[in-house]
Amino acid sequence: MTQAPTQEREPVEGTCPRCGAPELRRYPVNSEGGWFEVVKCQRCLCSVSREHGPRLGPIQLLSDLL
Amino acid sequence: MTTTEPATSIRDLSDDEFETTYRADRFTASVIANRLKYVVEHMSTAFLREAFSPIIRDWYDFACTISGPPEHDYRMAVVSNSLTVFLGSMPDAVRNAVEEYGPENLAPGDVLICNDPNRGGRHVNDVLFTRPVFVDGRIVAFVNICAHQLDMGGTVPGGFSATKANTYENGLVIPPVLMWSGDAPVRSTFSMIFDNSRFGAMLLPDFKSMHQQLQLGERLVHENIDRYGLDAVLGTLRYTCDTSADRMRDALAAVPDGDYHGAATLDADGLDDSISYTVHVTLRKRGEEIEADLSGTSAQARTCINCGITDAKTALGVALTMLLDPEIPFTSGTWRHVDLVAPAGTLVTAMPPEGAPMMFWEASGTLLAAVFDALNPVLGERAVGGDYGSTNTHNASGLRADGSFWTSATQCGGEHGPWGATRDGDGDSYTVLFNLNNLDPATETIEHDSPVVVLRKEHAIDTGGAGRHRGGAANLKDSLWLTDAEQYLSPFRTKEPSGVGANGGRPGPNGAMWIFPGVDGRGPDALVATTDDVYAGSTPVAGVLDPRSKALDPEHGTYHHFGGQKAWRTTAGSVLRCLTNGGGGWGAPFERDPRKVLADVRDEYVSVEGAARDYGVVIVGDPHFDPENLRIDEAATAALRGPA
Ligand SMILES: [Zn+2]
Repeated sequence: MTQAPTQEREPVEGTCPRCGAPELRRYPVNSEGGWFEVVKCQRCLCSVSREHGPRLGPIQLLSDLL
Repeated sequence: MTTTEPATSIRDLSDDEFETTYRADRFTASVIANRLKYVVEHMSTAFLREAFSPIIRDWYDFACTISGPPEHDYRMAVVSNSLTVFLGSMPDAVRNAVEEYGPENLAPGDVLICNDPNRGGRHVNDVLFTRPVFVDGRIVAFVNICAHQLDMGGTVPGGFSATKANTYENGLVIPPVLMWSGDAPVRSTFSMIFDNSRFGAMLLPDFKSMHQQLQLGERLVHENIDRYGLDAVLGTLRYTCDTSADRMRDALAAVPDGDYHGAATLDADGLDDSISYTVHVTLRKRGEEIEADLSGTSAQARTCINCGITDAKTALGVALTMLLDPEIPFTSGTWRHVDLVAPAGTLVTAMPPEGAPMMFWEASGTLLAAVFDALNPVLGERAVGGDYGSTNTHNASGLRADGSFWTSATQCGGEHGPWGATRDGDGDSYTVLFNLNNLDPATETIEHDSPVVVLRKEHAIDTGGAGRHRGGAANLKDSLWLTDAEQYLSPFRTKEPSGVGANGGRPGPNGAMWIFPGVDGRGPDALVATTDDVYAGSTPVAGVLDPRSKALDPEHGTYHHFGGQKAWRTTAGSVLRCLTNGGGGWGAPFERDPRKVLADVRDEYVSVEGAARDYGVVIVGDPHFDPENLRIDEAATAALRGPA
């Protein structure tokens, strides 16, 4: 059986502007509006940045290469 | 969207601020919102009336929405009262289809379609039809219908099966393409569908009807723009989404901060029963935000029981709405304060081409159950009992004596069943899953369309989870098949109770499926009884059963795999029995009002034995032959229940 997938969260330098915790991480999320690449505080969930991610997230279309 | 600034509630806006924000006063915005709601309901009613396909006509397997223009990020603002698995996916489905096609390539009178689960969720049978609404050459909104087509090609007639291995076996995948261009049909698109699917003669008039309903929707949106002005209508589209976001934020704020883990399990995929699939969700709640992480969820299944990210997101939104505040309008704004962390390649975030989704609502429903599992302990009295967990879908086909082909889809399995109980009362007994919302096909229609006789469709006794409020009763359905048939059966939740108890209530028992084979092409002389001694002569299809008697035995029985035969071949005269799971109870069973237990015995939801065993209530009399003279033995009940 294939191992259960886990979402990696890449550590980011800096502290949270809301709670001050040095626990910022970068990872993709899906929310209103689809995929976002976010940097969030892992203590209070404050979003330090949110940028639109690829339209279909991890799924790539060959036709995008046309 | 999560930010550092505290957001202002709509209710805290002054009248001037409201009007500046939404370009209409509060009263007008409410009127426009309700008029747009009328638009999608009018489209729905008209389509229901005109549809030929039984799954539209009898199941209400479609939904209508209005979404905003590209500069509103296509937010879904208004939805019909129908399938939540469709509605939840439609914000992303519309955006992804239009963005890929290019909004600049759309013109008045166009209808864009797409059915790719990877681009918009659901399965290939559910085709999205979207029509731009133009004002002065600019797109100001989209009216949309998503509707299940009775067939979309693939290896199984009708599509419903857990046994298909990949995207290619699943059916035809349609990328965003025009089906009407300036209201003229695009012949190549129609041909692509008809050349790759069955029952085209039934699909064609339904396609024409949907085109009519999209034109109706567009016309009615225009009427509102003419009457109230474009700015007010566009403002209202934002207002309805903001309302959902506001109310979800308030509901989330009422949940104590913390990390909550939940899980729920699907029995097996369609290949074999060597793997069961568990959905894990970790909910991290802080202030007015919540994050749901699916890490640890089983890898995607080997056959088409998976779902995609859009369906997972839908299930999360439905679960939070049901548990925290069912009054929250279901729009794009539902997810504004909700982040889904979704590693690729799980059962509920499957990747093409191997991770095929067909029975998608079963996988996403398992996520919904996992969210209940995570939050119920936190919610205390507001916890909600589980439902029957799976539509136990049936799909059969065969030939009549005259050689004509018949098919029967989603009618004769355990598609309908109970909900769990809540603090407000007992669970309903015959409805559809939490993440669905549709109709029950009439028995007369089922028997008219296919060579089948529905023999039983009844509440099974002692199957509602015991509680101060009782879970809904499981449904037992017997169907007699008059010709030889190939039957596909897809029950997914028979190993562990899906109808979990809440706030001290007990779970509902699990169901099963059996086939009683016909003899010499003939059925049984009488109804098959519902006692345990009838099953020894059956062919078990699913459930945890005693090896010898083949009756239910949840503690010591062995699991029977629904995919043990890819298609169950039955001879004429065979009877299929499908028993669903029971709904979960709420609150301690011994706290149930004895008069309610008496009524349950009177109505045969609970047996005399069950009343004593599960509720500590002693009922005297004969419920079947003398129901009006049943009574409670107060002294014996007090003795059983002990000191209060
Ligand atoms: Zn923080």
